[in-house]
Amino acid sequence: MFKEKILVIEDDVQIQNFMVYTLENEGFEVKGTLNGKDGISCMIKENADLILLDLGLPDMDGMQVLHKIREWSDVPIIVVSARDLDKEKANALDDGADDYLTKPFSATELMARIRVALRHYYRMKPSETGKEDTTVYVNGSLKLDNGAHLAYKDGQKIHLTPLEYKLLLLFMKNPGKLLTYHTILKKIWGDGYGQDTQVLRSTMASTRRKIEKNPAKPEYIETEIGVGYRMKEYESKDFD
Amino acid sequence: MNKKNEWLLDVLKLIGIVFLITVLGQIFKQYEFPETNIVVIYLLAVLLVARFTNGYTYGILSAILSIVCFNYFFTAPYHTLFVNDPSYLITFFIMLITSILTSALTTKEKLMTKEANDKGEETQILYNLSSKLSDAADLEAVLKVTVESISQLLQTSVGCIYVGEQKNPVYVQQIEDRQIHRTVTNVDEIVKTYTNLREEYLEDLDSFGFPVYGKEHLLAIIKIDLKVEIDCLKQKKKLLHSIIENVSMAMDRIEITIERVKDKEKMERESQRANLLRSISHDLRTPLSGIMGTSEMLMDMMDKKDPSQSLLQGIYQDADWLKSLVENILSLTRIQDGKVVIRKEMEAIEEVIGSAVSHIERVHPYREIQVEIPDEFCLVPMDARLIEQVIINLLDNAIKHTKPEENITISTYYTEKEVVVRVFDEGEGIAEEDLSNLFKIFYTSNTHLSDAKKGIGLGLTICETVIKAHGGTITGKNRTDSKGAEFTFTLPLKEGANHV
Repeated sequence: MFKEKILVIEDDVQIQNFMVYTLENEGFEVKGTLNGKDGISCMIKENADLILLDLGLPDMDGMQVLHKIREWSDVPIIVVSARDLDKEKANALDDGADDYLTKPFSATELMARIRVALRHYYRMKPSETGKEDTTVYVNGSLKLDNGAHLAYKDGQKIHLTPLEYKLLLLFMKNPGKLLTYHTILKKIWGDGYGQDTQVLRSTMASTRRKIEKNPAKPEYIETEIGVGYRMKEYESKDFD
Repeated sequence: MNKKNEWLLDVLKLIGIVFLITVLGQIFKQYEFPETNIVVIYLLAVLLVARFTNGYTYGILSAILSIVCFNYFFTAPYHTLFVNDPSYLITFFIMLITSILTSALTTKEKLMTKEANDKGEETQILYNLSSKLSDAADLEAVLKVTVESISQLLQTSVGCIYVGEQKNPVYVQQIEDRQIHRTVTNVDEIVKTYTNLREEYLEDLDSFGFPVYGKEHLLAIIKIDLKVEIDCLKQKKKLLHSIIENVSMAMDRIEITIERVKDKEKMERESQRANLLRSISHDLRTPLSGIMGTSEMLMDMMDKKDPSQSLLQGIYQDADWLKSLVENILSLTRIQDGKVVIRKEMEAIEEVIGSAVSHIERVHPYREIQVEIPDEFCLVPMDARLIEQVIINLLDNAIKHTKPEENITISTYYTEKEVVVRVFDEGEGIAEEDLSNLFKIFYTSNTHLSDAKKGIGLGLTICETVIKAHGGTITGKNRTDSKGAEFTFTLPLKEGANHV
């Protein structure tokens, strides 16, 4: 049976044990290292399908490990840190991390993030072809027909402005993934907008009013305060 | 050189010059040069006298003396003060006027030159002083430069006492070539005397004291020995004032620098404190993470009916409680005394509420929070993390005091100037005796709360601190329309509406 291999780079033995047990229990092959250097060399020698990376390592900064590995590999990396700083989170995500978990976290949370990251990784690979994207994206009761530029909810057409459509499309393409303000602004508004998150917040508010039952209890696009947004992933229901 | 000598010398010069010219005239007469030449050389005499003596007097005296001599020696009848030819009277008259004018012009020109020289010298002194002052790195150096240059200027011993706020008082004295440091004992008295001083200086037993005022307070006293020449002091008064002004500016500058260094040190201490807190949070979160994760994993691994399940549940809940305590303590220390300016950004209140509600529902999966928000949308300046903590604490509080089937609602609306957030429940409400103590630090209502629901009374204190730091208000009371408690907080819609 094919087992996906996960590399855990974490200096705290207790946490590492916990993660290793949980992951092995879930049927992954797990390799743990206690510092950044071993982590990198393990990645070079044995390759992994996903990396869990603690930012506070004894020998080097976790961000350095992230940069090093990103030089040659696009393996999903989930950053795990006890430092709960919005800026650090956003930096890690902007620099190529796929997700960010703040300690303490639960086993359920850990597994959910790992599954999203892996699924995302496999899905991304073939779609990098540069042809015009006419995919129909479905998540729960939301459907986006990118060929026709139409959006549906519960089978009903919803009217989105071009900006709202672009925003929703970005999330539909990246379900489960935490997108930082910076990433979203860059992808939708272009580089010029930099850090002006106000325009993003307003667009998000109006989009939510069209796709969510209650915008303050969003079912689809959740807020990660100070960092960005994440679209929850659902089983697709087809309403055609 | 004293005044009397100077006067005598000038008279000697006057007599000498007129005498020499008269001798020269006699020679001219021997060779029978025309008389006009003699008149011209007497004019020369007046010019020379005016040039080499001080003041108008000698010039005019020499003019008169010249005419007398010319009359006596060179007009007929010789060796008398009479004249035969009355036209000489006109010659005398014109000669007198010409010599007076010449002497006046020469003297004036001489004075102007002197003034210009003096000015140049003053400028030089001030320039030297200010360049030395701007090189001075501390107050003591300023004092040294000050006493040195004033004592050079006035040729006497000069002292300077620093009495400003940034340093202990220092007294530096220049006596001839030596500088002496003295201790000052009666600083308060000095400051009091000079702060109320109306005259420009104060004379005491052994010195004239000139105060040096800074922008905000008295900086120093310059003490000039009483033995100084009063005339010299009076002459140089203007210059002395400029020097004092320069010194005051230099001292002000150094005081500001010292203050800046102090501020910087303070900020460094603050950031060290913040770093310490960050590392503590790191150190606490990691083991908590281990405890929570491991107990969770064990619960998963074990049979659901195993009696250890409830023990594990206990471990997990306690760890979770510790975790929220850590979060709360961190928020509190972040804002309460540190004068840390909270980092406000324009945020959507619905996002913050959404985030808090989803957090609460994750921790309490069996509870559902009702959320009501208006259709309109406004961005509100706030530190979203802290406001999220406030909402979490209010909801947590509501959950503690309600039964699972009782509703908890959070609703929000905008008024003209603020956004209002209400959290209300259908629970037991707030006891009468607790109402006035709700936001006090470490106050916990001691009514029927089981141990598992314990709180240490930090939650609401944090809410109040955070909201106040945002310039908003927070109140807690019992509902009037049904049973249950109601907490309301407001945040101003515009930045700068704080402290109203």
